[in-house]
Amino acid sequence: MFDGLRVLVSRVHGFLVRRRADEELEAELDAHLALLTDANISRGMTPEEARYAARRKLGGIAQLKEINRDTRGLPQIDAILRDIRYAVRTLRKSPGFTLVAVLTLALGIGVNTTLFMAFNSVALKPLSVGGPDTVVRIERWFQSGSSGTDQYAFSYPEYAFYRDHNSVFSSVVAASWPFRIFAALPETDAAKSARLGEPEKATAQLVSANYFSALGISAVAGRTFLPEEDQPAGGHPVVVLSHAFWQRKFNGGEQILEKVIKLNDTAFTVVGIAPSDFIGTGVPPQIPDIWVPLAMQAQLVPGQEWLNLAGSYQVQLLGRLRPGTGRQQAQAEMAVLASQFGQAHPERDKTIAITLQRATFLGNTEDIRFQAMVAGFMAVVGMVLLIACANLTNMLLARSTLRRKEISIRLALGASRGRLIRQMLTESVLLSLLGGAAALLFSIWASKLLWLAMAPVLQVIFGSDALLAIPTGPDVRVFGYTVLLSLISGLLFGLSPALQSSKPDLTTALKEESSRRLSRSRLRGFLVGGQVTISMLLLITAGLFMRGLLRSQAADPGFDTRSAFMVLCDLGPDEAKARALQKQIVERLENLPEIKGSALVERYPFGGTWTPPVMPEDNAGSPNGAVLRTLANHVSPGYFATLGVPIFRGRTFTRQEAETGAHVAIVSESGARQFWPGENPLGRRFKLDMKFTGKFDAGFEVIGVAKDVRTANLSRVDRSYVYLPADAAHSNSILVRIQGSRRDALGGVRTVFESVDRNLLPGLSMVSLEESLVRLQKLMIQTTTTFAALLACLALALAAVGIYGVMSYLVTQRTSELGIRMALGATAGDVLVAVVRQGLRPVLVGAVLGLAGAASGSAVVHSTLVFPGSPDLFYGVSAFDPVTFLGLTCFLAAVAALAAAVPARRATKIDPMVALRYE
Amino acid sequence: MEPKSEILRGTLDLMVLKTLDVLGSLHGYGIARRIEQVSEDILQANDGTIYASLVRLQQRKWISAGWGVSENNHKAKVYSITAAGRNQLTRESENWNRVAGVIGRLLKLAPEG
Repeated sequence: MFDGLRVLVSRVHGFLVRRRADEELEAELDAHLALLTDANISRGMTPEEARYAARRKLGGIAQLKEINRDTRGLPQIDAILRDIRYAVRTLRKSPGFTLVAVLTLALGIGVNTTLFMAFNSVALKPLSVGGPDTVVRIERWFQSGSSGTDQYAFSYPEYAFYRDHNSVFSSVVAASWPFRIFAALPETDAAKSARLGEPEKATAQLVSANYFSALGISAVAGRTFLPEEDQPAGGHPVVVLSHAFWQRKFNGGEQILEKVIKLNDTAFTVVGIAPSDFIGTGVPPQIPDIWVPLAMQAQLVPGQEWLNLAGSYQVQLLGRLRPGTGRQQAQAEMAVLASQFGQAHPERDKTIAITLQRATFLGNTEDIRFQAMVAGFMAVVGMVLLIACANLTNMLLARSTLRRKEISIRLALGASRGRLIRQMLTESVLLSLLGGAAALLFSIWASKLLWLAMAPVLQVIFGSDALLAIPTGPDVRVFGYTVLLSLISGLLFGLSPALQSSKPDLTTALKEESSRRLSRSRLRGFLVGGQVTISMLLLITAGLFMRGLLRSQAADPGFDTRSAFMVLCDLGPDEAKARALQKQIVERLENLPEIKGSALVERYPFGGTWTPPVMPEDNAGSPNGAVLRTLANHVSPGYFATLGVPIFRGRTFTRQEAETGAHVAIVSESGARQFWPGENPLGRRFKLDMKFTGKFDAGFEVIGVAKDVRTANLSRVDRSYVYLPADAAHSNSILVRIQGSRRDALGGVRTVFESVDRNLLPGLSMVSLEESLVRLQKLMIQTTTTFAALLACLALALAAVGIYGVMSYLVTQRTSELGIRMALGATAGDVLVAVVRQGLRPVLVGAVLGLAGAASGSAVVHSTLVFPGSPDLFYGVSAFDPVTFLGLTCFLAAVAALAAAVPARRATKIDPMVALRYE
Repeated sequence: MEPKSEILRGTLDLMVLKTLDVLGSLHGYGIARRIEQVSEDILQANDGTIYASLVRLQQRKWISAGWGVSENNHKAKVYSITAAGRNQLTRESENWNRVAGVIGRLLKLAPEG
């Protein structure tokens, strides 16, 4: 063992100093020869004879050196280095081939790396905190299965309990969701005076006093919070400003430190500035402008009580694991603590599990829908890489034909097949690594474009600072991924050419006539067919999206979304109080001249769906006994008038029905048609399984029929919709329809809020449906279509290169045969037909397979439309849209024909005489 | 790591080690001549083969090498045995004698029955 190690060390050393060792050996052997020669001469030989005899006695010098080298150093690595040198030489000799191959790979690997970089940025990269590996986000799982950002919400008492009772974290920190406040800042020109300007909107986040220190964030100027600033409540009016806010408002001037600013009318002292790369820790990600200790909650959010209510879920938690503590262990302890807390404090929705996640930009990355989306994207870009690899295989096959002589000679000289395969694989891996390096450059550039293209979407979802906040650059994971992908592609596209061309049938190869032509051309045909299949698939997908995009611009929800506004405000966690406030607000809003109508809803149009199972009474029954689902929502009586959805038959709810939560309902036209085809729905009854318990426990009587509109998804008319009266428990959102200018309306709403409770003002905002939720849906399809089209074009371009390559190869292969045909009287047309027929057969097969694949994929997508909540990805374009399918087939055929025509024309130009002399 | 014919290679290594033990420092040529002389030309091998043996012994630190001058004033590499080499030689010699004894007895056995 020890001996072996010593030998290995010596071998590594020998490998490193191999050149010097070679020289030493040479000197040694020279000396040996000289001594032998001298001895021979003294034995009476002539000097010439003596030299020859000495050489015989010593043995072949070259072999000796070789043996010595193998014993002394690391022959395997030596061989690899030799292979690499040889590969570099070979590639340098054909720069054209190398360039095309590297570019092809750069595109193929590049799109994959770009996607991975984006995924890495949002789901793998740790947040920029100190020692990110030990920081975890605490996520809870509810008994009801409800998922989303709510899973990160905890109450302050829970936080205190976990903080004080755990043994696995060195610290636990809490941070609220960022919320709106009014901030009165020192006037810029009067930095020395204490005069404050008009209050303006800003976002604030309440955090535990250990937030910055535990996360390892130190201030770029001033300080962060001190541990004692958690106590007592209201005792430490200090704030830390975000770097962006500091730059924006104070141009990065340090004189703001120790100055007083007013937040929601309470004076605070600025004590520090956070570093520019600290983007917060929240889910969803959002950088607040100002951080404030949680102890100041009552001052910053007056009228609410967070610190002592166990049911007030206001903060997100992160923990720093103690050194040596694993995530599993910590998770187990947290589960115990959570159940202890749950027993002591009754919960609305029981917490059944706690998980700890690496703190990354996005939360909920374990969500199956998110993962499915990522997997879907990866599959698509993976297909593009497959096309690129198929091209490379084809190019290598064609090349190995040209190199057949070289390979046969090496085989004949005794190179083993394994050695040749290794040599050829080295070459392809070298190519793929070069391609990977180019791909990395490509994707750094492409990901900039990607984020730019995504900017509008991100802005709607996360707010305007989102783009600044995403850590988009490459890191070691991206490098690793690219290298791994390159290696895999290198082996993938290099293996079959290496195996094929190293087959040791020397005689046929040396005779320049291949018996393998058939099997090889079958492989090529297979590759081209595969490429065309994938291109066709991607093209049609992109085409359907494109058609959908065209329709989406004209998609009409059935009501005006421009003057319909969501009134967003935070009425506090106390339900009863919030309802009372809301009632007051709505009553006063209705009296405003700027407001045409107002309503309470559980969910805004386009703001999420609820699809409970429904059972209409005395209908024919669903044919196969499957559970029928319907879209549903709780709305106040004024909803229909406010949104502009006419009631065709019957009536809307009365105020009394709404307040008591009467068991009456209004259904949409198509809902009524579906439940009771051809019958009068008024007075009919249906039951709902409202809590997904499997029991239809709530019965409703239909009192009205509403016009069909699009409120679940902009992409299609709601399949069936049931409106239930919004009682106090189901009416948390205010919807208004304004008339006149938006400014006046906003002013009016503001006065109403001020008259009810001026503490509500900071949290108040109004957004039109058009600018937020509708815009988001339109942006989504625009972005998806753009990417789909780009990928499809890339795939098609690569496939066209592939077809071109194969056709050129075929023509070269058949030069003499075609020459003979022409000599025997075949016309140029005959030759063209012969070549094109052979070359395009796999294209045809591939196109048919691609069409079949696209059609079945499209059919699967369309089958999801049975579910009332799912969006129509293609905005009502039919599953087998003839325009798309026929049009794109023709387009692909045209591209393929063009790619084939160029080399095929060359075939018609063959001069029989030249062709026959060829070879 | 080491291919083919372990026994012969081991024998050669042992002979080189013993030569250096008996004659002290020596260059490759000297070792080759000495082995040739002792073996009375039974081991008809190229002189070159001892150089691989010398590398192997050096890797295990059983011999050390330095530069010296040969009889005809050529620069030559001179080898000498180390303490570890002596230990190894003792062990190997005992081993060799034991194995040789066993083999000898085995070969002398008359066929039974």
